[in-house]
Order: sequence, then structure tokens, then C-alpha cells
Amino acid sequence: MSSMSSNRPPKGGRSSENSGRSGPLAHLVFNGMLAAIFTVLFLQAGDLPSSMWEPLGSGSFPRLVLAALVLINLAIILKEARAFASLTPAEKGLVGRWIWRHRLAFGVLALFATYIFAVPLLGFALASLVFLLASQWLLGARSIKAIGIGVVVALVFSFGVDTLFRDVFVISLPRGLLG
Amino acid sequence: MMDTLLAAIDQLFTLSTMATMLLGVVAGVIASAIPGFTITMAIVLTLPLTFTMDPLQGVATMLAVYVGGYTGGLISAALLGIPGTPSSVATTFDAFPMARNGQPGRALALGIWASFFGSLISAIILIIAAPPLAMIAVKLGAWEYFSLIIFAMTVVASLVGKSMLKGLMTGFLGLFIATVGADPMMGVPRFTFDADLLANGFPFLVVLIGIFAVSQLLSEVEDAEAIQHGKALIPDNISFRPMDALRETLSYPVNLIRSSLVGVFIGAVPGAGGSIANLLAYDQAKRASKHPETFGTGNPEGVIASESGNSATSGGGLIPMIALGIPGSAVDAVLMASLMVHGIGVGPRLILDHGDLVYGMFIAMFLAAFMVLVVCLFSMKLFLRVTEVPRSVIVPVVLTCCVVGAFALNNRVTDIYLLLGIGVFGYVLSKLDYPLAPLVLGVILGPIAETNLRRALMTDENWTLFFTRPISLALLALAVVSVVFAIRHHRRQKRAALV
Repeated sequence: MSSMSSNRPPKGGRSSENSGRSGPLAHLVFNGMLAAIFTVLFLQAGDLPSSMWEPLGSGSFPRLVLAALVLINLAIILKEARAFASLTPAEKGLVGRWIWRHRLAFGVLALFATYIFAVPLLGFALASLVFLLASQWLLGARSIKAIGIGVVVALVFSFGVDTLFRDVFVISLPRGLLG
Repeated sequence: MMDTLLAAIDQLFTLSTMATMLLGVVAGVIASAIPGFTITMAIVLTLPLTFTMDPLQGVATMLAVYVGGYTGGLISAALLGIPGTPSSVATTFDAFPMARNGQPGRALALGIWASFFGSLISAIILIIAAPPLAMIAVKLGAWEYFSLIIFAMTVVASLVGKSMLKGLMTGFLGLFIATVGADPMMGVPRFTFDADLLANGFPFLVVLIGIFAVSQLLSEVEDAEAIQHGKALIPDNISFRPMDALRETLSYPVNLIRSSLVGVFIGAVPGAGGSIANLLAYDQAKRASKHPETFGTGNPEGVIASESGNSATSGGGLIPMIALGIPGSAVDAVLMASLMVHGIGVGPRLILDHGDLVYGMFIAMFLAAFMVLVVCLFSMKLFLRVTEVPRSVIVPVVLTCCVVGAFALNNRVTDIYLLLGIGVFGYVLSKLDYPLAPLVLGVILGPIAETNLRRALMTDENWTLFFTRPISLALLALAVVSVVFAIRHHRRQKRAALV
């Protein structure tokens, strides 16, 4: 399950579910893609200009790092391939259940992505107001009291923050439609 | 000396200076508690306000923001699991699990006391050892810097968690991310693909917010049932017992002193700073602990190490600035600028020419540490109210603050697009059980490592100098010892898990 770093205890998992090969498969796809990308970048870094003033040039350090990344990703692929071979296929419908369980996270992510792209168009204040109202509603603010609190919170952290930055810190957040 | 000291005290203990310092402390604590707002930003915003003050009042106010800022990062690290500033990354490792285990008050109180003692120890060392320590720090050439960074990179070995390979992967990924954008030596664009989005590389702060805040917040809203029943982020418990925490903090004297010394030394090395010190101090505490396996689950030693380590860099950073006029960090550079605005030349003659000002700064450090302690102890119950706020409110609000923080850094809309991309990538990494801390360490250390490696070889192509210069050799030997210990410990833990 997710953890911010491995120094964190796992949380909220449903460990009883038989995830079978799904974990190794996810790694094979992810690390396979990374290994391919890093290989291309490694080759591209070879074209970076060198300098007559220094022995290393622009490309050497990134190439060193990218070579290490390719090797590490290949090692992970090898390890996960072994795990994949030794495990049974996952239960049917696992992916569907996983997506359903993460519906709120994906919902918030979709709203957040829309918000980010709306900031330059609508301006920080308006985009934040809509995002704050929509995401609070999505996350369960449905009662009259919760909606009331949500509206106050949305106003403070959209128009309030915008005013604070413009008038006190002299930093102009994107104005969009209001500009 | 006594006359100078008394003159400094006379200037400092005025109502207006004390009032502006108190405001500075509050501003520093609040600014750093907001993810995305660094101490540097807080101090830069304070600078114009000090132009009308006399030099000591101005610099004392900025020092108050500085010291307050190091403690403020603790609040969001402990209560939200998001480092308020780069210097509180390691604080999230144990303070957040402690808070989630129903002890948010204990996590905050431990952090406050550790920060206080860290600041105090660093202020004492600043006064006693400023000139000699600064001389050592300044003697470090490119070879020693590179070796120091290699040593710092070995911290990755203790942050890797269950899989060494995954830890190495994210560590190197961090190093790679740092290479995107203009090359630090020649200015050649690298891996930008002529896109405006990547033209300036990945700003460190945007990576930090994206990786920790966005992915963490998305993880917080995975449990649909808990969210829809209005559950708070961490158990609602606002019990705050500062005296118990004081006793607990003092029961780890070796950890406290070692972490503070790490902070002072790292702070004194120009270019390093709190962002490295907290991770190094945490790493050393974990290695020295009899129960390293409990680190990351809410171990008080972890909180004490990180918070005393990062706070101690405040005094450490002033050492080269006061003794030699070299800023240890961006914050020290702004402090220097504030003195220069008042026509005070910063350099080796600062102590001789403006003794009252320098002694005033020393006393201001102590005073600021005490003010932070008082402000935090009295306001923590208020901050603990965060535990009562439901996730449906806190998650959208913090995401909005992340957008503000990412944008305000450089006033660039492209930075918020990067924030989204990095946040999603960080979420994928965390779902695949990759540790994220090594990535952040890689991004911090990458540019310093590359610049110094290239500078060293530019000065002399003979690479054996890394092994023949005594300080460089000592640092590399420490790095080897550090890796060997980490691997042995990792294997022992794996064996224990199998049994």
C-alpha cells in the first residue's frame, strides 16, 4: 500500500485481498517504461556539448546518473519478473474494485488537474473558489452546516488569500478573467 | 568586550525591537507551517519592512523570522505529514506517525523543545567558535565539497526502507531531476526539449511540494468511508503536556547534542543548510539507536534529531557570515543584504568595526529562541485544533496553499503545471511502494555534487586528489563506513523479518 516513504507504516490496506501478480506486473510496466526513457535520455545526453575548459562537459554527469538509473531499473525488472513467475493470477475484478476504492482520490485528482489548468484562465481567486467548493462537496460536505462552513472556507482561501498576497505581500496571483 | 555587550543589550532590549522581534517570530512560525512557504520567502518578504528600522532592530527582526521559521515547519510536518519547509522533511518520518497514533500534542511538544535546544546550542557555539569553525568551513575546496556530498548521499542507504533497489532508484531519480534545465557551469539547456515548461528545470520547492504534499493528500482521501463520515486527518486529541515533553527530550541528551552539532556544522558549510542537516541528523540518530527498527513509526528520537538538527543550522549559518562575510545559505545572504542596505560592510572586519551589532545578533539569537519557545508553547493548543478539522476541508485547503506556494516562488504559471505532474508521479511512486525521501535528497544534493565534481576536475584533472587531500579522504572514508553499516543493518533487519 501507499506510504510516504518506507519509514512510514503502511496504512489503510486490505491485505486479505489476493493481489497475485498485479504488483509485479505494475512494476514490470512502470520500470520497463522508465528503463526505456532513461536509455533514450542517456543516448541524447551524449550529444550535449563539451567544453575545452573542463574535462567533463555538460553531458557527463547526467550520463553517469542515467546509466545508473537504467541498470537499477533493469535489476528491479529482473526481480519483479521472478516474483511474477512464482505468483498466481490476481482475483477477477481486482482492478475494478481497486479503482472503486480509490474513487475519491481520483475524483480529487481530476478536480485538482482541472483547477490547475483553470487558474490562468479564470484567475486564482475564481478558480480556487470553484475548486474548494467542488472538492469539499465531493469529500462529503453535504449537510447545510457543512456547506455553510465550506462556503466560508472557500471564500477565505480564494478571494481572501488573493487579497492578502496582492495588498500585503505585493505578489500578484494570476488574475485571469478578473484581470 | 563587556562595554560592547552592554551596548548591544541596551539597543536590543527596547520595546520597539522586542515587539518587532515577537512579530517576526509569529510570522516565521506561521509562514513555515504553510507547505510551500520557505523560510527564505518569509525573510525576503520581511526585508523591505526593516529598511526604516535601525540596523540591529532590522537584523534582530529578521533573525526572529529565521529562528521561528525552523520551528514552524514542524507544525505541518507533524499534523499533516507534509514538510512545511525543506528543513523539516525528516520530521515527517516520526512526528506524523506519532500524531496519527493519537499523540499529536506529544509530537509537537517534543519538536518544540528539540528546536529550542538546537537553537540554543547553535547560538552558544556561534559565540564561542565562530572564527575557528568558519576557517575550517572555508578551507573546503571543490574536492572536499564533492566528498561531503557523497557522504551526505549515503544517508539514502538508511532511508531506503524495505528495498535497497527502490531507494537507490528514487535517489538517482532525484539526481537526474536536478540535471533538467540549464547546466550549472555552462548554462547549456539539458533535457528541456525546447519546452517553456522545462526551460528553468524543476524548482526544488515545486518538487518538494509535489512529491510530498500532493501525493500525501491524495493518499489521505483514499479511504472513502472514513472521509464521508467526516473523520479528521489524525485522531482528535488536543492533549498537550509540554513539561512531560521537556523531560522526554532531555532524556536523550546524546541525540540532542549530536544532532545539534550536525546542524551547526552543516549550517556553517556554505551551500548546505537545514534541508540537509535534518536528514543527516535523523540518519545519525537512527544508526546510533538501540532500536533503529522503530524509526518511522513515531519514535521520539527521530523527532528530536530532525528538529534539533534543522534549528541548529540557524546559528551555524551565521558563523561564516559573521566571521568571513560568506553566506551559508540563501537566508544568510538576505540577512547580509539587510546589513548592507544600512551601509554595513560584511566581512572579516565586521566584529572589529561593528562589535555592538555582532554581539547584538548573538543575543538576538538567544532571545529569538526563547520567544519561539514561548510563542509555540502558548499557541500550540490552537494549532492542535487542526486535528479537529475534517479531511473534506483540510485536503482542498492545503492543495490550494500548495498552488499558491508553487506559484509565488517565481511568479510562473508553468510551475503549477509542474506541481501537478510531479504530484501525480509522486502518487504513482508511493502506490508502488517507492520511498520518496531519497528523491528529495537527490534533488537537493545533485547540483552541488555536479558543480563541485566539475569544478574540481577543471582545477586539476588529477582525480586522485579526491583521495589524497586529507579532509576529502576522511569524508569519503566516512561515506564507505556509513554504507557498510547501512547494508549490514539492512541485512540484519531482513533476516530478523524472515525469522
